[in-house]
Amino acid sequence: MSLSFIIYLVINTLVVLAIAPLFVSIIKKVKAWTQGRQGPSLFQTYFNLAKLVKKETIYSAHSSWIMRITPLVSIAAILVAALFVPLVFVPEPVGGIGNIILLLYLLALAKFFMALAGLDAGSSFGGMGSSREMSISAIIEPTTIIVFAALAFVFKTLNVFTMFSASVASGTTSTPTLILLAISLFIILIVETSRIPVDNPETHLELTMIHEGMILEQSGPNLALMELSSAVKLTLLMALLINLIVPFGLSTTLTLGALVLAIVLFALKGTILAGIIGLFESSMAKMRFFRLPSLFAMAFFFSTLIIIIEVFA
Amino acid sequence: MAEETLMEMESVQDLIGSAGLAAKIVPGPNDEYYLTVGEPAFDPLVTTLASRKCVLIGLFCTEGFSPDARFSLLYVFEKKNIVLILVRNSDGTATSVARIFPSASWFERECRDGFGIRFDGAFDERRLFLHETYPDGFHPLRKDVRNIPVTMRSTIDVVGEYPFRSVSGNGVYQVAVGPVHAGIIEPGHFRFSVIGEKIFNLEIRMFYKHRGIEKLAEGKTPQEVVRIAEAVSGDESVANATACCRAVEAIAQMTVPERAHYLRTILLELERIGSHLGDQGGMLVDVGFPLGASQFAVLREEVFRMNASLTGSRFLRGMVDVGGLSRDIPKRQLDELGEFIRELKNRYRIGLKIVLSTSSVLDRFSPTGVIRRSLLRPLNITGPMARASGGRVDVRINHPYGLYDRYPPTMKTLNDGDVLSRFTVKASEFLDSLDLIERLLADIPEGGVRTIPEIKDGYALSLVESPRGQDLCWVWIRNGTIERYKVRTASFCNWQAIEHAVQGEIVPDFPLINKSLNLSYAGTDL
Repeated sequence: MSLSFIIYLVINTLVVLAIAPLFVSIIKKVKAWTQGRQGPSLFQTYFNLAKLVKKETIYSAHSSWIMRITPLVSIAAILVAALFVPLVFVPEPVGGIGNIILLLYLLALAKFFMALAGLDAGSSFGGMGSSREMSISAIIEPTTIIVFAALAFVFKTLNVFTMFSASVASGTTSTPTLILLAISLFIILIVETSRIPVDNPETHLELTMIHEGMILEQSGPNLALMELSSAVKLTLLMALLINLIVPFGLSTTLTLGALVLAIVLFALKGTILAGIIGLFESSMAKMRFFRLPSLFAMAFFFSTLIIIIEVFA
Repeated sequence: MAEETLMEMESVQDLIGSAGLAAKIVPGPNDEYYLTVGEPAFDPLVTTLASRKCVLIGLFCTEGFSPDARFSLLYVFEKKNIVLILVRNSDGTATSVARIFPSASWFERECRDGFGIRFDGAFDERRLFLHETYPDGFHPLRKDVRNIPVTMRSTIDVVGEYPFRSVSGNGVYQVAVGPVHAGIIEPGHFRFSVIGEKIFNLEIRMFYKHRGIEKLAEGKTPQEVVRIAEAVSGDESVANATACCRAVEAIAQMTVPERAHYLRTILLELERIGSHLGDQGGMLVDVGFPLGASQFAVLREEVFRMNASLTGSRFLRGMVDVGGLSRDIPKRQLDELGEFIRELKNRYRIGLKIVLSTSSVLDRFSPTGVIRRSLLRPLNITGPMARASGGRVDVRINHPYGLYDRYPPTMKTLNDGDVLSRFTVKASEFLDSLDLIERLLADIPEGGVRTIPEIKDGYALSLVESPRGQDLCWVWIRNGTIERYKVRTASFCNWQAIEHAVQGEIVPDFPLINKSLNLSYAGTDL
């Protein structure tokens, strides 16, 4: 493993941790603006995390070790997954690291433990959240695989780092496939991060909750870890979309100047995408639970189309 | 007027069917009719009334009303514009009418808790507003019980627990929600029996914050009780205060100045628009469409600020008083109100357009939470929620009070009975209320707003259309003070409809259905 790859690991993790809460805040801010409100400060998510870290953790008397390790498993799996998506700097692929299927199942691992923890405390809302999350996951999984397969077809590789290198070098993708890919990835992003129209991250209504229902019993630093892991997950999926479709500014060499420029450009592109997510969320109501598969079908359809284009073009 | 009364009297006599009883009908002071019925004749008469499509809109108990017995049960029946009260004397037992009039079930349970009346043949004999922590044999509304704190039980054994209807079967499980909820709302317990996400059965339990309002009112002067009436339910303050005042005024045959009638009607309609705005905003929050919700939330806040500048209270409290109003609203402020209403109308239309052109909202609203029309009469469902299910009920039209006979509102009814119908009915009532306020502002006369009240003894029933529907109030004054104050808000009856509206729906849609019904916890739990 080369030195530059180790530096990549450090830089990527630091950047994703630092910027993830900001993107969450930006989405909230844009949503507030559409409603004619001023909205919370852009640093509010950081403040919330800091506050939660200082609080004590309370475990339900009915909970087991699942409840205790879930926040750690979740943040660990998501942070490792984040290493698969270069935010600012694309390293040379190192022997066999970077299989896209592994990325997919690291995300699934975190989700699996979160669902277990939702059931673990024995509250009916946690159970409902877990059951809904698993129903949605079961339906979205084939779609996600097809979308990732489309990526593999477009870039002719299963290795994420090679995809990004190819994307930066560019010329390999045509505009129609890019648009279709962007739409598919956007839908995956919305579903995987539990946003409207799939789930409502701002609701206080336990009966409608999916993601929030599962973490209802979490408290203190554990809750901070869960919140942070969902912010990191959002950022990594955003980065996947941004850096594959608009790789402009992504650095391939390790120089300070290039890195700073890449960080600034990534923050900028991320802000724009967060704004788009905010506007998208504001434009519609949450869908009826059992109508969700029609949304997933759209991503499935577009990705299949990409594969057909790539195979026969 | 006398001729009208005679005609009405005849139609009441027709309703009774029996000539012997019809002769004993006594008109009350507020267009209601009283009939004292002895025991053998009572049950057949109730059956007759049921067959003539009367609605049981109230049933309450009072002590010392008749010299013949300790307790008297008053059954209030309504048919179109007729209100008939059957007085049934009892020494502690009576036959249940809940199998004929299902709306009687909660009323009877209320009488049993408050007075210890036993209803033979009742299908539901569980406690209602006094939960299991209250001691056995404690009946606070009896005259010999002093209004002091009572020692509660700290633990309840398993046998004494409240039995919920149990639904069992393959894959059926129970979801218990409340009484403590995540949002800032009042307490209520919802026991769902679900299969997957589908709701198989729902049972509600209310009355977690009983305040003892009826007992509190006893022995107070009518003016003091008006202030208590305002506290029954937040956005029905004017409605309940007006109902109470109208009863007291009817008893003493007081004339309320013309200007006071205008201002009262304006306040009643202002209350309605504030409530409808909050309600519509809430429905949009619950489908996860805050962009639409904020349109209404902003307007609602502005209405509340307008209320505060007009009356000094965001909930319009402290204005309605026995004999008129406690103070006048100067012309300058009424002009400001007129200006505000004109602007409100335009801004509301913009918000409404945003919502009704968003297909994802309409998809959530329809066809969700249907209340069938056949439920309206048995459960005495009133207000916008009845009108959205095709019920032509509105106290302002069926029993016009104050100025509503001269300024009748337009009744908007829809037949689907789902969330979308309720939203639409409220939207058109909102706009209609604005028109009404504008017409009233244009015609409002100068003059005083209060006659010096002259309190007389007697009793009267009064009905008012609150934003949620029909509010009923019965006042009995003895020796210048309140002997019994009974209030039944629309929510008391309307709550029971939710158990029917959610059947077959999915759990995540429950909050939306609940919000669309806009039920008051406080108005139910006196």
